[in-house]
Amino acid sequence: MASIARCLRAARPTAFSAVARNSTPRAIGARAFSVTAANAIKKYTRDHEWIDLSADKKTGVIGISEYAANQLGDIVYVELPEEKKEVEAGDPIGAVESVKSASDINSPVSGTIIHSNLVLEEKPGTINQVAEDDSHGGGWVAKIEVSEQGLKDFERLLDEAEYKEFTTEQGDH
Amino acid sequence: MASSSRLRVLTHSAFYTQEHLARPVQIYRSTSSDPYINLSLEHHLLQNSHPDSTILFIYTNRPCIVIGRNQNPWLEVNLRALRRGLSPEKEKKRRPIALVRRRSGGGTVFHDEGNTNYSVICPPRVFDRDRHAEMVARALGYHTNSSSGKGLGIKRVRVNERHDIVVDIDDSQANGDGGNKEVKTFKISGSAYKLTRTRSLHHGTCLLQSPNLAQVSALLRSPAEGFIKARGVESVRSPIRNVGVAETDFVDAVVAEFKEMYSGAETASGQGEGEGGEVMIVTEKEALAIPSVVAGVRELASPEWIFGQTPQFTFSTRPTEDDPRERPDVSRYNLPDNFQTHLTLRHALIQSATLTGLAHHDFALPDDEDHPDTLLSHALLHTPLHHISDWRTTLRQAAASSELIDGDVNVDVEVEEAGVFLNEMFGVVPVTKGEGGDGDDEEGGSLAFMVVQGVTDGVLGLVGGVSDAVVGVAGVVEAITIL
Repeated sequence: MASIARCLRAARPTAFSAVARNSTPRAIGARAFSVTAANAIKKYTRDHEWIDLSADKKTGVIGISEYAANQLGDIVYVELPEEKKEVEAGDPIGAVESVKSASDINSPVSGTIIHSNLVLEEKPGTINQVAEDDSHGGGWVAKIEVSEQGLKDFERLLDEAEYKEFTTEQGDH
Repeated sequence: MASSSRLRVLTHSAFYTQEHLARPVQIYRSTSSDPYINLSLEHHLLQNSHPDSTILFIYTNRPCIVIGRNQNPWLEVNLRALRRGLSPEKEKKRRPIALVRRRSGGGTVFHDEGNTNYSVICPPRVFDRDRHAEMVARALGYHTNSSSGKGLGIKRVRVNERHDIVVDIDDSQANGDGGNKEVKTFKISGSAYKLTRTRSLHHGTCLLQSPNLAQVSALLRSPAEGFIKARGVESVRSPIRNVGVAETDFVDAVVAEFKEMYSGAETASGQGEGEGGEVMIVTEKEALAIPSVVAGVRELASPEWIFGQTPQFTFSTRPTEDDPRERPDVSRYNLPDNFQTHLTLRHALIQSATLTGLAHHDFALPDDEDHPDTLLSHALLHTPLHHISDWRTTLRQAAASSELIDGDVNVDVEVEEAGVFLNEMFGVVPVTKGEGGDGDDEEGGSLAFMVVQGVTDGVLGLVGGVSDAVVGVAGVVEAITIL
């Protein structure tokens, strides 16, 4: 998903870019943020994907963040990942098209794609409406079987509060 | 091609060193006219340049039609007209047109030597859809608007809401009554984007002096338009026009505007005056010395990418719930009574097929599972549309494989007219045997074969001498592999 969110306005330069995948999240002061059990296993990338890990930590649901969906504009086509595809964190697993732009969707963690959200083939705009909904009819993109490495990748992602702060910074201008 | 005195030739070894791709400002001009090579070189720059660098890449392609990443060639392009090629007024021989699917989004465009393409790759944080279209508009525009002072002086150039560059022209002939002057707007440049994790790419066309504009509209009109309903992206038609400036002037003006935007910062960062701001010429040979460019060409020029990447679509000869449009008149095809076709294709493979009115017999009801039409339709499943070289053969084979012909049941199957109709709809030109006709004949074969042939003209020229000797698909593929 990369960059899109940063694109539409000339935001001030941010420190990360190419190395986002490998860098550890910045320490954030406000750690005492209270989250529900469900939210505790949802995390975000700096490229604006989210992943919701199942309670047994074996699978996860991946999607594009609401923030990115808003910035992208009308999504007119979603290219979904093939099932059984093995990916590493940061690998493209699909793409969306909006306003003449093809943007990659990258996997937040390593693992194997086990399911694609076929609803998006027919109704790509679902992502604009309910980007972070992982239910049937929601805007989620794919389900992934999370590998051992994937769990380590997961630990390095931003939690909800961190991501919120991150996007607020992005929006500053 | 380009020939500014400032340009210096770079050897390929220097070109793909990381050191060079790490420079904060880079300007490249390709001398290849092969669209597959140029797009692959561009992709190489997108993927391998330093994430903080800003790059201008300029290239000009031989005649080709370039569809967007998520478009349908059967819907966007008159594939038969494309394979007939261009008919220049003075030359007798038609010029081939390549079919290309690019990696960026957006709609279909026509390129030829009279069209020059610019491409800017930059970090996402400075990306904006209009930023570099405005840069090119300034290059084309008035001296006063141009920050480099080198604008080409074209009047009333602007970037519109679709991020295209247009020019407004007073239409003096519009009303003979001497009253209101009408303003007509023409597109001279179209934009498309590719955004990755770390980089943003904006590329655009610019029609400078194409001699082929009168032929473009017909090339971009598919005979199957009234029958196809496609997912993905449909093009928006716009009237087009040449700017009417020479290529070298355009390139110089765009380079000047680009430098105006970026070279200052570079100097400030201690790189020294002019460093990295010169235009690097990249030849075809140099481009193809880069392994990732070769890999890119192989992918872009493969029928699997050009056709197989097509989003799901249906072809239906009668209105359906999903596509209730009234269908075009097909009476001139003399199709069998009750002939109807409904196909669903995914990745250009036939996923479902319902053909009726082809088989004549009197022992089964139309809805029966073993109705000959049903059996024939079933035999078409999983066929790649772009591998069909003659629908008459394909239908006959389908009938044979479902034992309708030469089997226990001998059913009269009418495939001739239906096959001719479907050939025309899907851009198939059957191979004609026997004497060559009027000297203006088309090369027959499947679309996949057409593409492979198109690639021969461009890429294989490099191998030197091989292209003439290449016959047949296998030979060509082999020749590409050895690059």
